Amino acid sequence: MTRASFLGLVAAWAPLAPLGAQHGLTARLSGQGILVGTYADPVAGGQSLGEVRLVQPIIMLDVGLPRLRLTFHATADFEGWTMPHGELAPGDWGEGYVDRRHPHTYVHELMLSAEDVLGHFDGKARTTLSVGKGFVPFGTDDPMSRPVERFPVNHHLSQILERALVMAEVDVGPATIEGAVFNGDEPESPGQSPSLSRVGDSWAARLTLRPLPGLEWQGSRAVVHSPENRAGAGTDARKWSTSVRADRRAGPAHLYALVEWARTSEADGVFVFHSVLAEAAVTAGRHQPYYRFERTERPEDMRTLDPFRSVRPHLDNSILGTSRWSIHTLGYGLRLGAPIGHPDVVPFIEVSYGRIATVDGGLFDPTTFYGRDSFWSASGGLRIAWGMRGHRMGRYGVPTRTMDMPAMTEPDRAR
Amino acid sequence: MPAERGLTLLVTCLAVISGACSERPTDTEEPPIVPAATPTLVATVSIPPAYGIHDTFVRDGLAFVSAWNTGVMIFDVGNGVQGGSPSSPQLIATYATPGGETHNAWWFWNPNTGEKKYLFVGQEGPGALGATSSGDIHILDVSDLSHPTEVASFHVNGAGTHNFWMDESAQILYAAYYNQGIVALDVSGNLSGSLSNRLVDSLRPGGAGDTYTWGVQLDHGTLYASDMLSGFWQIGLTAGHFSAKRGGDNVPDRYTSDLTVANGFGYTGTWGSNRPGVVGDAVKIWILGASSAPLLVDSIVTAGIGTVSDIKVSPDGKLLMFTAERGPNAGFWFYSLSDPATPAYVARYLVSSGVHTGKFGTIGGRLYAFGAEDPPEPALLILDVTDIDR
Repeated sequence: MTRASFLGLVAAWAPLAPLGAQHGLTARLSGQGILVGTYADPVAGGQSLGEVRLVQPIIMLDVGLPRLRLTFHATADFEGWTMPHGELAPGDWGEGYVDRRHPHTYVHELMLSAEDVLGHFDGKARTTLSVGKGFVPFGTDDPMSRPVERFPVNHHLSQILERALVMAEVDVGPATIEGAVFNGDEPESPGQSPSLSRVGDSWAARLTLRPLPGLEWQGSRAVVHSPENRAGAGTDARKWSTSVRADRRAGPAHLYALVEWARTSEADGVFVFHSVLAEAAVTAGRHQPYYRFERTERPEDMRTLDPFRSVRPHLDNSILGTSRWSIHTLGYGLRLGAPIGHPDVVPFIEVSYGRIATVDGGLFDPTTFYGRDSFWSASGGLRIAWGMRGHRMGRYGVPTRTMDMPAMTEPDRAR
Repeated sequence: MPAERGLTLLVTCLAVISGACSERPTDTEEPPIVPAATPTLVATVSIPPAYGIHDTFVRDGLAFVSAWNTGVMIFDVGNGVQGGSPSSPQLIATYATPGGETHNAWWFWNPNTGEKKYLFVGQEGPGALGATSSGDIHILDVSDLSHPTEVASFHVNGAGTHNFWMDESAQILYAAYYNQGIVALDVSGNLSGSLSNRLVDSLRPGGAGDTYTWGVQLDHGTLYASDMLSGFWQIGLTAGHFSAKRGGDNVPDRYTSDLTVANGFGYTGTWGSNRPGVVGDAVKIWILGASSAPLLVDSIVTAGIGTVSDIKVSPDGKLLMFTAERGPNAGFWFYSLSDPATPAYVARYLVSSGVHTGKFGTIGGRLYAFGAEDPPEPALLILDVTDIDR
């Protein structure tokens, strides 16, 4: 996508829903962007570092053809332009970035779903088939659609994204079961497409139960072939995830909470990485305080001469060790403007404090590398979003229409 | 010649004592000596990117390429069996060793029996560097080069193998074994099945917790070992058993990588460090005594590289080659050993993606360097370096 086409999309940024009534077509354009300044102390080498970036600049297009029971969902992500060197975030890792959250691919999602494809043949169930590029049915929602701006360390343990996938979903009452096959390779750069020749070399399944309104449990499993070597010569990852999510009114306020556990075993169990995360947000009027704690283990890969990048592809299957990041993040957002019908403008501030430990030995020593075994970071910025309700990143089909995005503070949304 | 070497030793030792020796940076933008000749690339052989090529063993005009999950690829590079030459390598056979991760090889010529039957193949499995490792030794019968077959293997619980050196007349394989240190294996006679009962001895030079041995080399009856954690070691041998060890804990600034020994000197590479800004850009130069610890006399620091991935001396002892990765000056580097204590820059051949290993091979009276080009387009690179060896 060129910059000109990007500007064209921005110019066309407007709700498109009126198209639907006349043409049997519904459409909606939405988007967001966050201008954020981050300061972290220490980074590699013991120094501190501060920087300002435009992060999560995305535009979403949702098109529905109700007569044909078809929905199309696309998300364009421009982080490859606005943060090509990643977003400063001690502990974050993945796709060749270390202590920086990597930019996503320009084509973040591009999914076509056919709903209720079996009609009455599956009784009360609704079966949806989806195909395209997007999130694999595994783990929890994408951090982009959650209250905390800072991505968690466990992003690559708890989500599998930007893959070419073929997916089936069956909804029966309060239960949803999803399964997908996809390509195991993760992106190596924002402009790279999934390796289509590898579609089918990996699979995932997720069971979701909603026993009460606003309360949800999921358990999921995935086997990912060679995620870090596009040619398929790397080790496999076997992943588990389970979580409980609450998203409901509590008196005059709105409560969001998530507790998750994830485990990834690589190279037939030679490396095992665990994660526990709990986060919560309360939205009362214009105010949204939030908090996250996570304890996540990550692999320490050999870095390039840039201490924020790791060597890709790997030249063998070894790592420098495993580190464990225990991080508290406390934040507060204040929504400006009217709650409905206008862009959400939310200034926010976040502070994180974390400790770093090693697990099971290896060459990596955080005290030597960072100068000490703890860090803190502070972020402040402005989140601007338009029309982001209704799409929960990482879910396609029926849940798309029934779940909201807690990052977008909307206290009066219906459940 | 002995007098000359003695003088070299004396001068070197005086220099060390006086503190005149220190890291000697190489100005890589403007090399210190204008090369009289340059290496000539004579062949580039693409290797399947699974993940690619890791190492090459060259002997008698045959190149045994360790090509990770592709397995062992045997090329005629001048032997004649398949009409190959250094400029036109011809593939004879590919054999995928069980488990893949094919890392290195040694073609065993047994002088006692005249057999050239066995190819020892190292598997480098996953591990946490400095702590754990995995991977077995696979023994292939290559009597018929076009149909290699695995006949035996050797496994160590909780450790994996790395580089080899063979005492062929004694029929003992010395294998660096990372956290297990060094393993000596009796490879005499017929080899079949598990070789667990062939273990002669093993040694962790730095002791438990401070051993992660990268490579070994036998020189005049003495074994030398480079250890990522504990540095450079000299180890005595008695009928394949390890005796006195000397040295160690002598490279505190960086992790040690490969080694090569010749002319009474040792040369060790560096892999990196745990400190940002301190990378594996140094080659350490050691003077070796018959029964004394290796003595560091100098080092070469090369700007624009992050790892010295392999280091070797040419068969005639005149040319030092090291390969480099991670940085704008990755590739092959060549130094003259006219004065082995003070190698002099001769030439370089840069490869932007990096070169993982480099080996010398003499074919048809000419000297070649065989290099393993790193992904994304892995390849066997063959350089004619005859002219820079003169």
